[in-house]
Amino acid sequence: MKSPDAIVIGAGIAGASCALALTNAGLTVLVLDRGPVAGGTTGAGEGNILVSDKDPGPELTLALRSRDLWFDMQSDVGDHFELEAKGGIVVARHDEKPLKDFAAKQRAAGVDVQEVGDRELHELEPFLTPEITSGVFYPQDSQCQPMLAAAHVLRAVRLRGGQVITGATVKAIDTSGGRVQGVQSDKGNFSSPIIINATGTWAGDIATMAGSHLPIAPRKGFILVTAPAPKLIHHKVYDSDYVANVASSDADLQTSTVVEGTRAGTILIGASRERIGFDGRMNVDILRRLAAQATSLFPILRDIQLLRAYRGFRPYAPDHLPVIGEDSLIQGLWHSAGHEGAGIGLAPGSAHLITAQIIGKTPFMDPAPFSPKRFQAGAA
Amino acid sequence: MIAIIGAGPAGLSAAAAATRRGEEVIIIDSSSQLGGQYWRHLPSARNDSHSLHYDFSKAQKLFDELLSQPLLTRYSNSQVWQAEKCGDQFHLYILRNGVEEKVVADKVILATGAYDRTIPFPGWTFPGVMTPGAAQAMLKGHGVLVGKKVVIAGTGPFILPVATGLAESGAEIVGLFEFNNPFRWIFNLHGLLLNPSRIAEAFYYLKKLQKHRVKIEFGKKVESATRSSAVVDGTEIECDVIAVGWGFAPDVTLAGILGAQLGVDSDGTVIVKVDRRQETNILGLFAAGEATGIGGSTLSMIEGRIAGGGRGGLSRWRAQVFANGLKKVYPVPSILTKNLPEETIICRCEEVTRGQICTSIDELGAQSARTAKLFTRAGMGLCQGRVCGRNVSEIVADHLVQKVSDSERIAGGQRPLAAPISLGELGDGLAKKF
Repeated sequence: MKSPDAIVIGAGIAGASCALALTNAGLTVLVLDRGPVAGGTTGAGEGNILVSDKDPGPELTLALRSRDLWFDMQSDVGDHFELEAKGGIVVARHDEKPLKDFAAKQRAAGVDVQEVGDRELHELEPFLTPEITSGVFYPQDSQCQPMLAAAHVLRAVRLRGGQVITGATVKAIDTSGGRVQGVQSDKGNFSSPIIINATGTWAGDIATMAGSHLPIAPRKGFILVTAPAPKLIHHKVYDSDYVANVASSDADLQTSTVVEGTRAGTILIGASRERIGFDGRMNVDILRRLAAQATSLFPILRDIQLLRAYRGFRPYAPDHLPVIGEDSLIQGLWHSAGHEGAGIGLAPGSAHLITAQIIGKTPFMDPAPFSPKRFQAGAA
Repeated sequence: MIAIIGAGPAGLSAAAAATRRGEEVIIIDSSSQLGGQYWRHLPSARNDSHSLHYDFSKAQKLFDELLSQPLLTRYSNSQVWQAEKCGDQFHLYILRNGVEEKVVADKVILATGAYDRTIPFPGWTFPGVMTPGAAQAMLKGHGVLVGKKVVIAGTGPFILPVATGLAESGAEIVGLFEFNNPFRWIFNLHGLLLNPSRIAEAFYYLKKLQKHRVKIEFGKKVESATRSSAVVDGTEIECDVIAVGWGFAPDVTLAGILGAQLGVDSDGTVIVKVDRRQETNILGLFAAGEATGIGGSTLSMIEGRIAGGGRGGLSRWRAQVFANGLKKVYPVPSILTKNLPEETIICRCEEVTRGQICTSIDELGAQSARTAKLFTRAGMGLCQGRVCGRNVSEIVADHLVQKVSDSERIAGGQRPLAAPISLGELGDGLAKKF
């Protein structure tokens, strides 16, 4: 396949979703990745598909639709990636008013939100500390195993005539005449009028290579993984500081907890966020804070052993909205990037927005708020 | 202050050398006794241990010296779970009897030793199949005989003392199988000739084994196991324990956490890179013994002495020549992980089979051990890949018709935590203001 209809750079979940949507729309697709499938940001993600943490607005609209598209994707390629509508519970430790106000706004925007009182809350999560007496339940919040998802979606793409080449580093993007002509890689040159930049944390580099620019920066997050335990935690449980953090521009470290059990029996504790570039070193203090917050939510976790910790780099744009759409400087270059901690959840929705625009159909929502144009206006 | 991690031959020799020079030393070890895995002994009956150890008098001398050494602080039942270098100092976070403490040191000597290398075969997950190290530890540390009828197999000189110890303690050794041929020493004669004491040691074991009518057979391995037998060369041997070991893998976790440069040794194991003074690329961080390359207790003691500020001289060179010979005489052939039946479990923590690993390559596009792990969970369980990591890499590379790259081997040796810690203890560290 020397001249596919579209080339997707990036074999993570963003690229895989785009490749599938384009393939299903009848295009021949080539996926290139310098590493293996799901070797970058996707491989370090928890697999969150959340609506609970998003303010009403375009991102929530995208998240709601994308969440349903995840289940469509499962029907399409098979039940291979542990997709589960696990449900999320957000609790407030101190003041519950902001949490309830936030929930009310989300309900108005179409999110399934259920306020739960003391008894109900502890029926849902029997080991939650008795100190917390109310919360909000989000049945739509879901979970998948993102590496398996990317792999099985790409497998479907291959079976439907697409091509996936891993270990292929893109060296140059040919944009003569202000529009995309093709790519040069160390595994061959390919021409195509459409290139999708789905390279996560490295999306800014690909944009630069094509002669455009995109301000995507990494944000570091740690995830703690415990030894396998009996089923102690049934949902994704957040304290409500998390909702505040996602929308924050404060560059200092903030921690707030998300605790959840997995099918493998391990318990994941996550959500520390720290914007310090690509320094990947372990920070003992962050581990301590995450552990302290998790055990204060669930005292039973005190005796559970921490087995390992890993870090993910979440790519984000300055305004914390994803960048989805055609580049305003280079015609034929499309971006699906900057989803921050929500890249897994928003991947199929982003893919559908891009595909609809490429094949000239009306997308399910106005894609304008996500357009890369917002960062490229001055230069254009 | 010097912190030494590990109280085996290397750690104790380092402690002795450093305290003799007037340095204050803290020695941290997970056991309640000095001696490490190698000189593991029963707490109350140290003198009885003579029969189980060839060179226990060396250990005895070190124990006696160090236990009366006022400059030495002992942290027993202690594990360093995390370490950082802050400025010129090292901060070690230690679980001591399960409670976290912090130790600050100017110099750290890693003498973390090695663990048995395991290679899967059909039936290796049955109870009763273990490593020679485990059988040895039960005997030397707890006085427990692992079984009545024992098959011992694998490769390397270590299977001789294990067989001897078990036979002397009343087990019937129904089979002793060395996969490699000892005539290979002919091509490494200088290693033996420079180290006559090693020949004497080998004959000591062989004589004892002869007394118990145990015969070594060469060129054979355990092909498979059932619940009550081992199959060797097509013949079923009834037994209740099968101890199989394929040499050792250095424990380099703490070195990796502290950012020390790791390398790949000639036997494919991941080792800590050190200079002639046993110092790593991190100023003030030293490593000695098996962590810097498998070489046996004599070399470990010499390296420990050098790391502690003592002299090595010619003895180090002699012991190194022997260690190099060991790796040539007792190689672990890569054929062992090839041709395993699909249903053979490779990662026993997560019960991942060879077939599942190969499927993740063929169907899902895994191109490396790392992605194969992400897709199958191989190496993600309790042992964190210490047992299966290298085997998974070999199987993935073999299936892709590649060789395992050094960078992949080194990545496989990197782990973020050196020991598990309970979430409660970890969080309590905040209030302790470490």
